[in-house]
Amino acid sequence: MLQLSPSEIKKNRTFIKVWTITFLVVFPLLIVLGLLMRMNQGEQINLGMDKFYVLMTLHGLGMAGLLFSTSFAALWYLLGTRHVKLNLGIGYFVYFMILIGVIGLTYSTLLGKFGAGWYLLYPLPFKNAIWPAWSTGLSIVSLIILGVAWLIGILHVLYTLAKEYGGLTNLLGWQYLGKKQVKRELPPVVMISAISLIPGVIAYLAGAVFLVMFLMQYFEPTLTFNMLLMKNLIFFFGHTLVNITLYCCLGWVYALLPEYTGRKWETNKILVYAWNATFFFIIFAYFHHLYMDFAQPLGLQYAGQLASYFSAVPATAVSMFGVITQVYHSKMKWSIVPLSFLIGVAGWAIGGFAAVIDATISVNTIFHNTMWVPGHFHTYMLGGVVLFIFGFFFYLSHTKEEQEKDIMGKAGFWLFVLAAHSFIATFYTGGVNSIPRRYADYKGIPIESTHLIGAFLARIAAICIIFVIIGFLIMTVSILIKLTRKKTAVMEHVQNS
Amino acid sequence: MPAKAINIILNLAVFVLAWVISFPMNEWFSATMPRHQLLQLPAMLLLGIIAGLRSLKHITISFPWDIAILIFIMASLVFWMLPRSIDAAVIYPAFNRVMHLNMLAAGFLGITVIRQTIFEIKIAFMAMVSVMVFVAGITLITFNILLCSSFNIDQQKETGFRLIIAGIVFATGTLFTFFRSLGKKI
Repeated sequence: MLQLSPSEIKKNRTFIKVWTITFLVVFPLLIVLGLLMRMNQGEQINLGMDKFYVLMTLHGLGMAGLLFSTSFAALWYLLGTRHVKLNLGIGYFVYFMILIGVIGLTYSTLLGKFGAGWYLLYPLPFKNAIWPAWSTGLSIVSLIILGVAWLIGILHVLYTLAKEYGGLTNLLGWQYLGKKQVKRELPPVVMISAISLIPGVIAYLAGAVFLVMFLMQYFEPTLTFNMLLMKNLIFFFGHTLVNITLYCCLGWVYALLPEYTGRKWETNKILVYAWNATFFFIIFAYFHHLYMDFAQPLGLQYAGQLASYFSAVPATAVSMFGVITQVYHSKMKWSIVPLSFLIGVAGWAIGGFAAVIDATISVNTIFHNTMWVPGHFHTYMLGGVVLFIFGFFFYLSHTKEEQEKDIMGKAGFWLFVLAAHSFIATFYTGGVNSIPRRYADYKGIPIESTHLIGAFLARIAAICIIFVIIGFLIMTVSILIKLTRKKTAVMEHVQNS
Repeated sequence: MPAKAINIILNLAVFVLAWVISFPMNEWFSATMPRHQLLQLPAMLLLGIIAGLRSLKHITISFPWDIAILIFIMASLVFWMLPRSIDAAVIYPAFNRVMHLNMLAAGFLGITVIRQTIFEIKIAFMAMVSVMVFVAGITLITFNILLCSSFNIDQQKETGFRLIIAGIVFATGTLFTFFRSLGKKI
């Protein structure tokens, strides 16, 4: 176990506090954008198409970026206070780079009206776009800054872990596959961090390629790159980013849940096989985003379906089975932290299952452009990642006793969970009713029933979002009260761990 | 042979080669776009690297200067990929020699920084350079209009194709360095 001096613990605590407060401020603002979008679809307000797509772009890019950044920061904190000494200077450098990127993106969307969606829809931003060219340029530069920041952070964590645990193969847990006695135990969180972050490095390389191509196109509008190549690069980057966000969260579930159940959760052969298989499948599963692209070679479409199916099995099945064996008859007290983790895992499972359904080619031909798609990713992001993050925040701010007795926090939590899943249900219902996604509103749909159902579900969703925000704010108050007092729970956790 | 003598011989060799490329062979290197961009420019960079390998071995550069030098190298590479700069370099030999000096300096300082900077910056820099080279190649292949009036469209496409290969090789090298560094049992 890592030995830290009180001043080092304090510095780490300040770092994670900065991230916690950033998340608690930015996340509700991004939810409000979603609320406005659903209200527009429900015909309660009239944003107009241009504003709708601006909000959609900022909501998508902002949420994906914020959730990944926070998950990564939490992982950084856990690794940095338990397993390796991480350089907080690099941590803050990454934080401020991210801040610059976010400011740039906010400026280019809200003021510059950039509305191409997170996937940037090449080549449309360069062909008769209704927003000024500078906002496209600023968005691209902001995304490059974000990518470089994340890349540097990831490289630092990987390199430091590799130094500590004796190289890459040890990080991947391969020493467990031989017959020799393992000399040093590898904590699952370390292995999961490595397996999540290495594909991240490759994804950021792909991201850098398409962003530099966008930049070239920005400077020379007559250029025309291969659109299929662009789409492959963009979705490889985006899909991997979202996947590794989930896996970063799972890292701390593996690390923290045993503290509540009192049972060890150690690395073994099965875990190593499962996560190493995931390492491989993460990279190829993104092909399922391109089923609609008839020009994509057919073999890659099949590869996408197979990789999606297989990627769901190892890490998901093994982790869920692990969670069940952790909590089954463990006699632990259901405080807010294990609750968040358990319901978060459920959200991950439900969203993942919905994703696998949609990754089936024959189903995708029907579901691809419907609300099913936002349904599945909101399930594992809002119903999974956000709950994992809240679990971590409660762990950070509350002592164990406070976690059990915090009525306000629990009330906010249950309100959030119920409202979030009701909100998500409106997406799935929309999906099975063929309500199209990415529509600013449904007024122009000639099938009246589709228009009416779409608008009705959007109104229900808007009400659910309001309750999501209320639940979120209640939890935020509970966390901030505990986090901002002088003697926080962090010191206790670090010492206990 | 003493280290000092090796240094002198090496630097002398670099100087002579740089002079040969810059003066007697300048016209030959500027005759086609692939020669200019894929032989002359990297050759000067390589000579700078060779000179820097031994000369600045014991010099320590502080972290802010590391970053400043890497930005200088990145900006230099971008500048000498711009069609206008390439045209000017081909038309005016004196301007071409500015490129030579720039590349020598980039290689000379670059190798020193790369050797001593932190792993994260090294990999991020190498990754961004490989991405730039790769994308420059794709751009040259994609563009059907002649970018540099000193050359022709076939040469432009050929340069693009070779830059793509160079980008892939460089990216592979970056990944190799990355995995090798992670694999080291330190």
